[in-house]
Amino acid sequence: MAVLEVEHICKSFGHTEVLKDISFSLEKSQVLSIIGSSGSGKTTLLRCLNFLETPDSGVIKVNGNTLFDGGNANTKQEAAIRENRLHFGMVFQSFNLFPQYTALGNVMLARELQAKKRPDYKANKKQIRAEIQQEAEALLEQMGLKDRMYNYPHQLSGGQCQRVAIARALALKPDILCFDEPTSALDPELTGEVLKVIKGLADQKMTMIIVTHEMAFARDVSNHVIFMDNGYILEQGESRALFENPKEERTRQFLTRFKEN
Amino acid sequence: MELFLEQLPIVLKSLNVGFLQTLKLFAVTLIGALPLGLLISFGTMSRLAPVKTLFKIIIWIVRGTPLMIQLLIIFYFPGLVLGNPIWGGGESGRFAAAAVAFIFNYACYFSEIFRGGIQSIPIGQDEAGLVLGMTKTQIFFRVKLLQMIKRILPPVSNEILTLVKDTSLARIIALQEVIWAGQSFMKGSQGISGAIWPMFFTAFYYLVFNGILTVLLGRLERKMEFFR
Amino acid sequence: MKRKVLAMMLIGAMAASMAACGSSSETAESSAAASAAAEETEAASEAAEETEAAESEVEAIKAKGELVVGITDFEPMDYKDADGNWIGFDADLANAFGESLGVTVTFQEIDWDNKILELDGGVIDCVWNGMTLTDEVKSAMETTEAYLNNSQIVVVKADVADQYQDVESLKDLNFAVEAGSAGEEEAVNNELNYTGVQNQAAALMEIASGTADAAIIDSLMAAAMVGEGTSYEDLTYTVALSDEEYGVGCRKGSDLAAALNDFFQASAEDGTMDQIAETYGVQAALIK
Repeated sequence: MAVLEVEHICKSFGHTEVLKDISFSLEKSQVLSIIGSSGSGKTTLLRCLNFLETPDSGVIKVNGNTLFDGGNANTKQEAAIRENRLHFGMVFQSFNLFPQYTALGNVMLARELQAKKRPDYKANKKQIRAEIQQEAEALLEQMGLKDRMYNYPHQLSGGQCQRVAIARALALKPDILCFDEPTSALDPELTGEVLKVIKGLADQKMTMIIVTHEMAFARDVSNHVIFMDNGYILEQGESRALFENPKEERTRQFLTRFKEN
Repeated sequence: MELFLEQLPIVLKSLNVGFLQTLKLFAVTLIGALPLGLLISFGTMSRLAPVKTLFKIIIWIVRGTPLMIQLLIIFYFPGLVLGNPIWGGGESGRFAAAAVAFIFNYACYFSEIFRGGIQSIPIGQDEAGLVLGMTKTQIFFRVKLLQMIKRILPPVSNEILTLVKDTSLARIIALQEVIWAGQSFMKGSQGISGAIWPMFFTAFYYLVFNGILTVLLGRLERKMEFFR
Repeated sequence: MKRKVLAMMLIGAMAASMAACGSSSETAESSAAASAAAEETEAASEAAEETEAAESEVEAIKAKGELVVGITDFEPMDYKDADGNWIGFDADLANAFGESLGVTVTFQEIDWDNKILELDGGVIDCVWNGMTLTDEVKSAMETTEAYLNNSQIVVVKADVADQYQDVESLKDLNFAVEAGSAGEEEAVNNELNYTGVQNQAAALMEIASGTADAAIIDSLMAAAMVGEGTSYEDLTYTVALSDEEYGVGCRKGSDLAAALNDFFQASAEDGTMDQIAETYGVQAALIK
């Protein structure tokens, strides 16, 4: 069964239609790359999945449950949205780490706030916090940041920051992890370390959606690719097939231009 | 010189009493105006247009009129126009009226600094909090507040140092703070009259206190340097 | 005059705040509420005026157990002793009056410029501070009978005093007088050159510092502050320009003034007033 089903999503900003009838689905443990030129609607689509933007119409289902329905006002309520967006993790282009927390603090914060709502929190405060910290430390270690846990964001390189951000998203155990151009803000020599981490997650069968301009990476890591153009999904399919043998002329143009660069 | 030494203890005693009143007004204003300023700043950032307009107008009136006149209105208006002198005539009533005027006035100045501080925090901080399932309140207190404080500390420090000196305006409603105490020896009090040096002495009180505040605020600013 | 200006200022401020309410609430409902509130305020202040006229203020003071007396630091009428207690001819008399009513007397220092405002605003009960009974005072306050004589007197440096013993000789001098005081009135009446300063003590300071040649102040104050053994040993007083009287000011329409008159008469008869006057060296000025 599909983890994620997106049906007929539309979104406009004022009179500009940014997303036009977007539909796709994603199987568990699949990695989906969304490619396309700037302004094609890739980032907006990702932001809709995380409810940072509210679609005008359409349906979003996770594990068969409807999280969002453009025709159902209940799914647009703040509390419902807050609950539902936890199915998705989000890694931003500009990291958006919290500067006043250490790397470890960034990873732990949301979990701690969640734990406070547990009825047994007061009684087992110490134990619960210790568990959260243990998990956070394990995640940072997995990201290769074992000796950076107590550093503040401004003491870390861009690549390290982005890896902290990935650990922070993973801490909430999302069903689907989303990346919005995760390497675009990095120096070229730091790109590799972040891509390596994402590749590692793919190997561990993490379900992921990646908006990226790294075509080689998209081809190697993802199983499935969506090419967006002017708010539409112009073409989608199995990764290798789409990259090597695109059906649409527009896709071919786009890929050729990237190869030249 | 002999006369001076004879007068000095009398003058210092008066100035100390006056300065205590100055400090009291300063402290109460700060404690009241900082949180109230935050609330007002939320008002000016409200998504409801009428609320936003209302708060903007309040700020315009309070910042656009002299504090001295606000003091006169707050103290005398209830008795003079409404026929109900809520403050009473004693020292405590004058202090309460002065505190209300100062808290309100400074809250409006603080609110604009707070608004600037909050709005200068990148939207990405909100979004990062939201995708982590945090509520808006959690995002404000756990993520944005400290960043805002760091940003607004220099302008707020400025206002705080100004406040120390502004407290002297309260003598328009006969609150006997340190300038009033100094001035009383110019007019004649406790056998000393026509003496202007007690007035000059008050300047040292302000200077020393503002010096202490400058050091403390500087220390606080350095404490905030652990993040950027 | 000052009172009118202030009242206008207050009304202006109120109008501004009303306008603020009006523009922020666009619905008819809330503007109706605002006007209702305005009516209420009006009604309340009318009611307050009525009760003020009808009810006895003396009874009200007895009920709250406190008489708030507005004063300034003004030797020998109201000033502080070494322990910070208020003493002086007026202060002692006020304490005696409080005792006769069975209430405690609170001396509240006020800004002299705001004395009418303080009374009308209800924050003090009376002004008892060597106040000259001018026409302005009498029209703005309910005043008592005069209890002390005073005159406006010219103060000059002692070493030149013998040159200025009549009004004619004063024309070349530059005077410092308290703005809005009876002294200023005399300066105008006698066509003297003068500068208005903050208060009478400041006027004396002007002479001492050489920025003025002479001042016109209350004779009672001059007696206490000028001459040998005072703060201004090298000053002296010469010509008396006018005679005037001191009285106590109460709120317009208050029965406190009548109660004070009774008290003055009683204490003159039993000798209390003489005794206090002697303590402060003003017995010659007493009105019997």
